Amino acid sequence: MADILLLGLLHEATPSAETIDQLRQLGVPDENITVMSGIPYRAEMLGRPRSRGKLIRFSLGGAIGGLVLGVFLTAVIFLLYPLVQGGQPTIPIPPSLIVLFETTMLGTMWATFLGLLLENRFPIFKSQLYDPRVTEGHIGVLVQVDETLAGQAEKVLVDNGAHHMSRGDPSQPIDTRHGLFWSGVVAGLVIITVAILLIAYDVTKIVFPTNMANQNSVAYVQGPRLAAPVEAIPIQGPVLIAGQPASQPVPVSNDSIQRGEVLFGIICQVCHGKTGDGNSPVGSFFSPHPADLTSDSIQSLSDESIFLVITQGRALMPSMAENLSPEERWDVINYVRTLKK
Amino acid sequence: MSEQRMDRPLWRRPMPKDVDLAHQVEHERRSHLLLDPRYPLDMDKNVLDPMYRTGIQFWIAFVILGGVVALYLGTWLYQMLWGLGITGLNRPVMWALYIVNFVYFIGIGHAGTFISAALRVLKIEWRRPISRAAETLTVFALIAAAMFPIVHLGRSWKFYWLLPIPNQRQIWPSFHSPLLWDMTAIFTYLSCSILFAYIGLLPDLAMARDHTGGWRHRMYDILALGWRGTEREWVNHETALNVFSYAIIPVMFSVHTIVSWDFAMAIQPGWHHTVFGPYFVIGALFSGVAAVILVMIIARKGMHLEYFLRAEHFDGMAKFLLILSFSWAYFYFNDYLVPWYGQEPVEKILQQLFSQGILAPLWFLMLFSNIVLPWAALWSKKIRTSIPALFFISVFVQIGMYIERYLIIPGSLGRNELPFSWGLYIPHLPESLITVGAFCLVGFLYIVFSRIFPLIPVWEVYEGQVMRGLRRIGRALVPTRIEPD
Repeated sequence: MADILLLGLLHEATPSAETIDQLRQLGVPDENITVMSGIPYRAEMLGRPRSRGKLIRFSLGGAIGGLVLGVFLTAVIFLLYPLVQGGQPTIPIPPSLIVLFETTMLGTMWATFLGLLLENRFPIFKSQLYDPRVTEGHIGVLVQVDETLAGQAEKVLVDNGAHHMSRGDPSQPIDTRHGLFWSGVVAGLVIITVAILLIAYDVTKIVFPTNMANQNSVAYVQGPRLAAPVEAIPIQGPVLIAGQPASQPVPVSNDSIQRGEVLFGIICQVCHGKTGDGNSPVGSFFSPHPADLTSDSIQSLSDESIFLVITQGRALMPSMAENLSPEERWDVINYVRTLKK
Repeated sequence: MSEQRMDRPLWRRPMPKDVDLAHQVEHERRSHLLLDPRYPLDMDKNVLDPMYRTGIQFWIAFVILGGVVALYLGTWLYQMLWGLGITGLNRPVMWALYIVNFVYFIGIGHAGTFISAALRVLKIEWRRPISRAAETLTVFALIAAAMFPIVHLGRSWKFYWLLPIPNQRQIWPSFHSPLLWDMTAIFTYLSCSILFAYIGLLPDLAMARDHTGGWRHRMYDILALGWRGTEREWVNHETALNVFSYAIIPVMFSVHTIVSWDFAMAIQPGWHHTVFGPYFVIGALFSGVAAVILVMIIARKGMHLEYFLRAEHFDGMAKFLLILSFSWAYFYFNDYLVPWYGQEPVEKILQQLFSQGILAPLWFLMLFSNIVLPWAALWSKKIRTSIPALFFISVFVQIGMYIERYLIIPGSLGRNELPFSWGLYIPHLPESLITVGAFCLVGFLYIVFSRIFPLIPVWEVYEGQVMRGLRRIGRALVPTRIEPD
């Protein structure tokens, strides 16, 4: 005999619980009974077995996934593409913790949402056996019984005050179109990723019309100068004059070389490498390569020429004038002289 | 209430026969939403009907807000063409209104999560009708906030450099930089706030689906994902809401802390304070709660939600606002005292600028709005339950908190260690328009949302009504609550 679905609407929790008890006495197993309500009634209120969802597993899985993503962003990237700078750790722990925390939480919550959809078999776009009065405060008791028991089950529902009854056929599969939905979601994500990568890798160039060069801005050395406040102290020191040496060379000394080494680590090492041979992780991406500072061709240059290159830049190398004061540049030159093979 | 038969529907329970008790019941019903149950269909209608009403007032607001938003987008495009030079940004103040707005709107976005997540976890019952309005404000304020770093970029089309992918130069963004923490935290907070609001909305979408027709019905049918309110659905729903509540509270704290680190990590006078993290979080909650009060007042008037939003809710929110005003004052005093005691020349100059210099009117207005006014007014229950008074106070708190961010960002940047690079930032037209536009964007999204989605979580209110009742102790009837685990 085929099964049949019966949905009865009741007013309150107490008669619903009694209905469920009596259906159980009829021999209907608990898993064939479902209660629908507009608010979450506890299982104990309806005399139903407490069900434990598996949702929390999704949350934990998501937390682990998010943590792994965080480790990738804060550690693995920096091992793949190390940016070695003097005196700084490649993978600093305190700032990494911040990103690890955020990605862990991100993974937890996204996975929980995904789990909610999967555990509830959402989305279901086709009509299921349901009564809109459930959202008006009524409680629906849905029971799946054998056709021979249908009459008795219906009587139990009506005796307890069920005021609306509807019937359904459980053998008719619900067309949820899950395949369509989830493949749509995946396709959407793939399209977004590909679109971003196309732009990021300059495959699709966005030429944005811009007049920025003509804007009414004030460059670093252009007027009008900001008026000095009343409390300001006038500058009394050497002024840079074109055509004259910017500063006196700093004589070679252990102090100067030490200062130069520290500055070299911060400013130069990223491209020229720890030993100055131009083979740093970043430098290897440049063409031409950063100069090998240990080579004869560089070491044979005069101090003034090296000073000029640091100040003005050369080829791909930018000017370091804003990063190093003239005295610091001489310190760096004194250090570079010690790199000679 | 023992004479009542428990199998009658909640909304049809009779009044007690005793006149005195009946009087008490009447009084409790008038003052507490959760003790004043109505037939849920009536509540559904009460929430759904205003969504259909798009009268002349709605369209006027729609056109004005929409127009200013269009102006905002136009100004942004103009700025992309001509560069940030059209704004008042210049040495030494390179962070100004855009960053002020960014901090301000993220701050507004904090109250929603606090009200719906923290108060849910703590089982504070008066949050029930407010939670949706607060969550929605969070989402829209975060959208407005997230636009500002991109506006501030100048070359806004390069925003994808923030994404964790290598670009054509094979350079990865460094996640050790505060700006990337910002991006990660805001993305986490925004996306999870949207999901959190959506999960809470699911049963109400089903409710709207069951009681509407036409295009609305089709839309709710899809958005409700086939929700029927079965036991399994509710169990998973509750687990999900719990996970989100516990997870999103620390994220909320982290977001504004990270925003404060954008400043505190820089060796800049006025910024380099260790108290900035908690101080910013409290400030965010303070302005956010005031913003939620404003939204509640406007929604109550515009959507006729007098049944749901009662004096008790405004009273609860106003108490919360007062506590936050105390906390904010405490943190601000901390932030003020330590540099004052240290008497570092630069910090001294900054404090002089605020208390005696050109920014003094703003500074005193901030102290008045954030401390004097709330402390003077909110101790009184009469004021806490008076809607015009609360509207007035909340607007002042918004002004005060906006000024606070303004003083911290362009105010502090104008004074460095070296007096020759001092300056004063004056907002120009473009960033002023964009600022006004951002406020209008939040309002615009809100009014559109309010006509499409139920603004009151009916299922939460009804659940509260089912779980709450009156118990007789001696001569009095007192409200009680069932608190299953």
